[in-house]
Amino acid sequence: MMGSLPLAFAQPLILLGLLSLPVLWWLLRLVPPRPRVVSFPPTRLLFDIAPKEETPSRTPWWLILLRLLLAALVIFAAAGPLWNPPVATGAKNAPLLILVDDGWAAAAAWDVRLRTADELMARAEADSRGVALLPLSETARDISLQVAGALRVQAKQLKPKPYSVDRVEALPVIDRFLKTTPEAEIVWLSDGVDMGKGTGFIDGLKQIAGSRPMTVVSGGTTIPHALAAADNAAGALTVKVLRAQTGVAENGLIHAIDLKGLPLGDAPFAFGAGDREAEARITLPVEIRNDVARLEIAGERSAGAVQLLDNRWRRRTIGVVSGSAADRSQPLLGASYYLSRALNPFADVRLAESVAPAEAIGRFLDQRLPMLVLADVGNVAEARGRLDTWIENGGVLVRFAGPHLAAGSDDLVPVRLRRGGRILGGALSWEKPQQLAAFSRDGPFASTAVPNDVTVTRQVLAEPDATLPDRTWATLADGTPLVTAQKRGKGLIVLFHVTADTRWSDLPLSGAFVDMLRQTVSLAGATPAADGDAAAGGRGQAVAATRVLDGFGAFTVPAATVRPVPSGFAGRASSDHPPGFYGPPEGLVAVNTLLPEDRPLPLDVTALNARQDVYRFGEPVDLRGPVFMAAFGLIALDALVVFVLAGGLAAFARRRSAATAAILIVALAGALATPRTAQAQSTLMPPQSLPQRTPLSPQQQDFAIKATQQTHLAYIVTGDADVDEISRAGLSGLTLFLAQRTALEPGEPVGLDPSRDELSFFPVIYWPISERAAKPSRATLDRIDTYMKQGGTVLFDTRDAIDAPPGPDGETRSPGMVALRAILSSLDVPELEPIRADHVLNKTFFLMKDFPGRFTTGRLWVEALPEDVEEDPSRPARAGDGVSSIMITSNDLAGAWALRPDGQAMLPLVPGEPRQREFAFRAGVNIVMYALTGNYKADQVHIPALLERLGQ
Amino acid sequence: MADNVLAEPTVTGTSATPVNAAAGKSSKLAARIPRLILEARRVAATLIHGLHGRRRAGTGENFWQYRHFSSGEPANRIDWRRSARDDHLYVREREWEASHTIWMWADRSPSMEFSSHLTEWSKLDRALVVSFALSEVLVQGGERIGIPFLMRPSSSRNVIETMAQRIIHDRTERPSLPPNFAPAPFSEVVIFSDLWSPISEYKKMIGQLAANGARGHVVQVCDPAEETFPYSGRVEFVESEGLGSVTAGRAETWRNDYQALLANHRAALRAETEALGWTFTVHRTDRGPTELLFALHGRMGAHSVQTAINSRHTGSVA
Repeated sequence: MMGSLPLAFAQPLILLGLLSLPVLWWLLRLVPPRPRVVSFPPTRLLFDIAPKEETPSRTPWWLILLRLLLAALVIFAAAGPLWNPPVATGAKNAPLLILVDDGWAAAAAWDVRLRTADELMARAEADSRGVALLPLSETARDISLQVAGALRVQAKQLKPKPYSVDRVEALPVIDRFLKTTPEAEIVWLSDGVDMGKGTGFIDGLKQIAGSRPMTVVSGGTTIPHALAAADNAAGALTVKVLRAQTGVAENGLIHAIDLKGLPLGDAPFAFGAGDREAEARITLPVEIRNDVARLEIAGERSAGAVQLLDNRWRRRTIGVVSGSAADRSQPLLGASYYLSRALNPFADVRLAESVAPAEAIGRFLDQRLPMLVLADVGNVAEARGRLDTWIENGGVLVRFAGPHLAAGSDDLVPVRLRRGGRILGGALSWEKPQQLAAFSRDGPFASTAVPNDVTVTRQVLAEPDATLPDRTWATLADGTPLVTAQKRGKGLIVLFHVTADTRWSDLPLSGAFVDMLRQTVSLAGATPAADGDAAAGGRGQAVAATRVLDGFGAFTVPAATVRPVPSGFAGRASSDHPPGFYGPPEGLVAVNTLLPEDRPLPLDVTALNARQDVYRFGEPVDLRGPVFMAAFGLIALDALVVFVLAGGLAAFARRRSAATAAILIVALAGALATPRTAQAQSTLMPPQSLPQRTPLSPQQQDFAIKATQQTHLAYIVTGDADVDEISRAGLSGLTLFLAQRTALEPGEPVGLDPSRDELSFFPVIYWPISERAAKPSRATLDRIDTYMKQGGTVLFDTRDAIDAPPGPDGETRSPGMVALRAILSSLDVPELEPIRADHVLNKTFFLMKDFPGRFTTGRLWVEALPEDVEEDPSRPARAGDGVSSIMITSNDLAGAWALRPDGQAMLPLVPGEPRQREFAFRAGVNIVMYALTGNYKADQVHIPALLERLGQ
Repeated sequence: MADNVLAEPTVTGTSATPVNAAAGKSSKLAARIPRLILEARRVAATLIHGLHGRRRAGTGENFWQYRHFSSGEPANRIDWRRSARDDHLYVREREWEASHTIWMWADRSPSMEFSSHLTEWSKLDRALVVSFALSEVLVQGGERIGIPFLMRPSSSRNVIETMAQRIIHDRTERPSLPPNFAPAPFSEVVIFSDLWSPISEYKKMIGQLAANGARGHVVQVCDPAEETFPYSGRVEFVESEGLGSVTAGRAETWRNDYQALLANHRAALRAETEALGWTFTVHRTDRGPTELLFALHGRMGAHSVQTAINSRHTGSVA
């Protein structure tokens, strides 16, 4: 062991060699570095030159340092350094007694403790020593020396106990063992935590052990923490985080978990370097806070780091006493009903039995409730004295006005009241019912929004005096108080100037009522109410364990040895009563490892005069290899330095220019190669994955939103201004026609740049072919291909049926067709055919024979339909699967559709047959309908069969 | 020509190791020789275009032709043996020889193997190439080329191959300065070396060579690094021939001193050389071999009494 470092040496004496370093330093200083040897014929001339000043005659200081470090490393390595050395034991042959602390504090680093014990036993096995292992909690039976190998297997089964182990109880066992094996050596794997009886144990152990060699292993692990004194106080659930060891500042997190194991909230805690105690505040709404059943320190596995909460930490119990008779005659209209409904979400409500208010109050005070609600109780009579004391001690008394209170009250009200009350908006009153106007900024309702649905028709009025504004929590629109409160001692009296039922106001019907009560309740202290049953004499009823904690703080099934606890049990967990939940689900009793007043303290073992050691993480690491490697590295470095000093660099300097050039070339090649690979990657990616991968720019998002809000016809912008204008006007005309004739009302046509814009928003894209337009790029064609594959339809229009050379198939040789063919050659185009008479496109909206545009001679080419021989030849319409992804015409459809802004046609028609333009529009409607509805019309042929099957 | 020059050179190192080392060096050199020969031929070819033959009668040692005796000539010129065969008197003419013999000596000591990062030629390669090329040119010009202790003077057409073979198969130790031999009075000596030996040794050597009145040309072959001293940092300089080393803490601060020393050394070399009437040339291996060849050939031509070598090329003396 070297100081606090987990470092030991196999041969510590060799470290004395470090003393030789100064001598080495002196020697090294004198020996200059080796010169560079140069064969030089005229050396004879040099003999005559007087020796000049010899600057580097002495080795530079840093080279000396390097060599000294090298020598030190070699000495260090020769001494056999060992990182994480195992816990040392003394004599090689004495039997070994291993004491293991196995209380909750040991659980946090249990693996390390077990491993340390295992290492000890392994070495004892190697040395053929007998071993005895005594977990300090297991005092029931005596221990004896065993073979280490067998004991190692047993030791693996050891588990920490979930409670504080009283080590003193183990003293007799140790004593008996030491009497039988007096020469034993003792190793105590301690957890370093003293829960109160540590001194007694250490004194006893010292007495028993006498002068036997003893090692206490403690520390080196994470500091165990404990939770205690959970308190569901007003506003927050607080819990104390305790630790025995100090010295480091720590931060952590407390998880609040409900009975089902769901996390409800977190709270941080922080230890200063010298703190033993920190507090965590879990600020949650009181309803959620009431569900917290378990608090635990995040990341710490120990029963001590868990605090279980039962009903005693939960809801505040509130007694409700009503003075009005309506509560009994019409319970659903009574104040008690409204109050219990409003309070139930966050508090336990106990209603007074049918007894006089004073007696009911007396009973509630017996039960030590933190809060009482008196609804229209005018006078508490004989309970007044006790009530006063109770308020002084922290009770919260909430009173509601009513006829009884208005008729005459005691002085347990925050303000002086006028007799009789006040009626607003009644038949005999000029005043209107008042609204709730404001919450006092200083009062607890300040954070609540002022409701506008509360009207007050009657109230009791306070005598105005100087203290009234300070005591007012809520006021009505005319400034009269609605809620007043006064602190008395540690307690509080709150008065609602209206009834708790709806006779005087709408308040009990409002959500604000619940909020106001919630805020009020949160002011009440959290002193747990004595159990009603217990008060009635049920104390002592034993409840059996349902879920207990194991040593690591996890719930397990209780063992058979676990004994029931009395239902009011508030003691510390023990082996008979391990921490956990006891009793039935509705009346759980939580037993915790630590009591609120428990404080773990560091264990002082100095009295034992024992060798002290720390736990080790990880296997022992022999450092000789790495240190020798470092030394060899330094040797190589030294050689390099000598080489450079001797002028080796000068030899390199000759090649410096070449080397520089080489580096430049490499760098340049790298710079050139990088973008190329990047490019290669981008071309490798399928283009359709681009939109998903790259986030959309704002313009793209705008475009996408506009394009998808409405169906739009779209055309490809060719870059030829005339063509694009006609396309736009044509599609506008078709849009208008569609809106007039069909149920489809598309938006304004959209011009698309296929290389940039997202195409998939458009069902059909009109693509005029212009001979002057450049062929789209490969990437663009890929996008178009993807669009067509994903169900889009492209309507190519070469617009040159009139230019087609005469003869059969002349139109396929027109210049536009040639340009189109160049485009399509790079696309995956299905087989095409001139549209057949029975194609569904002829029937999608209008019945069409052909598809004229400005010209009538061109034919419309569509995807070839599959030759289906079984098909009924009389079937009027045929369609393949889906929609033809491509249509080609040369009739200049857009030219025929194009309208000027005044509604007149833009271009003349050829040959100008009557109704040619009308048919051109109809062709457009059919095409759009086809693209939108697909083969729906083709399926219409089945309607008679379907109807027949339906029996109509 | 003195035959003692051609005596078997004494192997100074009797142990096997230097011999083997020399053999190893030879084989290393042998691997380079073909390249050097090619380069030498290429370099020589650039010069040969400007050569004119010297094939004419004159004072010389070799038979050239018989001609009729003309009256008035000294009678002792008559070759009686020839004249006895028929009724005419003949005079035996000999071929004219301008400079007789040229001794090429290239330093092959380890220091010549040095080549810095500033050039791809080692000093030895350059020395061999230029000596081969010069030999080729001179042989074509009728001269005889020899290597002291290694090759007899010869004017054979394949002089380069002969020289190369002799050099490869030479297993003796390789000194930094030419061995002590006695060139004939009118022969010429061409020495290629880096000349880093001390001035005293150099002075002794060149004095001995020039003692008989031979003329000579000394070329100091230098690596550019040996002039510019492009070193910095902590450097240990090792003498190539095992004469020790010196460590500079910061070599860059030595540069100016070194260059001053170098200049002094060169000045001393030049002074010693030119005092004997020999020429001294400095050649750096980062310059072309042709340049040195033109310079050397020009200098040799300048001394020839009646050579018809075109002297256009002499302008390129470094």
